[in-house]
Amino acid sequence: MALINVASREIQCKIVYYGTGYCGKTTNLQYIFAHAPQPARGDLLSIATESERTLFFDFLPLDLGDVHGFRVRFHLYTVPGQVLYERTRVAVLNGADGIVYVADSSLEKLEENFQSLIELETNIRRMGRDLGNFPFVMQWNKRDLPNAIPEITLERYLNRRRVPSFPASAVTGEGVFPTLRAICKAVMACL
Amino acid sequence: MAAWGEQARVVEGGMEQLTNIVVSQGELEHIARLLEQLALDTSGSHVLLLDKSGQVISVYQQSGERDIVALGALLAGAFSSSRQVAEILGERDFRGILQQGVQESIYTSLIREHWLLVVAFDKQTHVGLVKVLARRTSDELEHVLDRVLLGSAAAKEQVVNVQFRSSVENTIDYLFRD
Repeated sequence: MALINVASREIQCKIVYYGTGYCGKTTNLQYIFAHAPQPARGDLLSIATESERTLFFDFLPLDLGDVHGFRVRFHLYTVPGQVLYERTRVAVLNGADGIVYVADSSLEKLEENFQSLIELETNIRRMGRDLGNFPFVMQWNKRDLPNAIPEITLERYLNRRRVPSFPASAVTGEGVFPTLRAICKAVMACL
Repeated sequence: MAAWGEQARVVEGGMEQLTNIVVSQGELEHIARLLEQLALDTSGSHVLLLDKSGQVISVYQQSGERDIVALGALLAGAFSSSRQVAEILGERDFRGILQQGVQESIYTSLIREHWLLVVAFDKQTHVGLVKVLARRTSDELEHVLDRVLLGSAAAKEQVVNVQFRSSVENTIDYLFRD
């Protein structure tokens, strides 16, 4: 949950990148870490398995610096995407102020994305919230793949709420910052 | 503002206001005193108050310059994970977790479902003492939490206004440009 610390003049918000395994959540954070301006970015922390799969979460603090006398910080997290880590995803989602759903655009991942979104909706509901009126954006990642399905198809099957969505290729960085800007603004609008 | 999730209200555009908490100068000073006292009583190297999402509300550290932001995220993640374990075991909750090291250990306990009190202490201090004193501090922090919740709405109005939101948006556009 967002924390406004009047005494230390800080505002902190938590943003979670959610999605299936290998969809590019960690790659998003790695790109942001590599390309965000130096004073704004903290250290990227990853709790990964030996094969570099996310085991618990990645964590990247971003510091906007002084805004009207307050230091504004966004803490970015990823969840582990593999199906068996659902309980871990619930643990990381705890207290989230905004969510980015990262979808792998390839055809063979469509069904998995669909199931993953149902799981996300269920988990958010358990937290007493509704994705329909929660800061939430979608990213159609891996648009560079030859078997990427058309965006209009992704919109139709995965974005029934018609939330803002962004085509992306996290490996090259395309769409990474537009997605980040959108979720950060959505979170601030709901403070 | 919405004090907590269950009381979230709808703002412009049909979006719910986020769960958030506003800690005033006076309350933060009170919290800092409680954490310092707990650190002194337990010879704790660090005492932290976190919210359950991992944000650091206040910290007292006797020595060292550890990465407190990362520490907060990891400790809250570990606690949140332990609650999932409790659910699988059919346990209502784990109210506290102990991470035991050779030189230093960490005891984390839950305050009213919202805050986490963390004490890092060395092998000279008995864990039983830490648990008892942390419980005492938690009781006092519960009263602070109640007051913070009551006063949050008015305090937030003073901070988050139209000008502030506009400046934040401009900063986001500038820092996170392509």
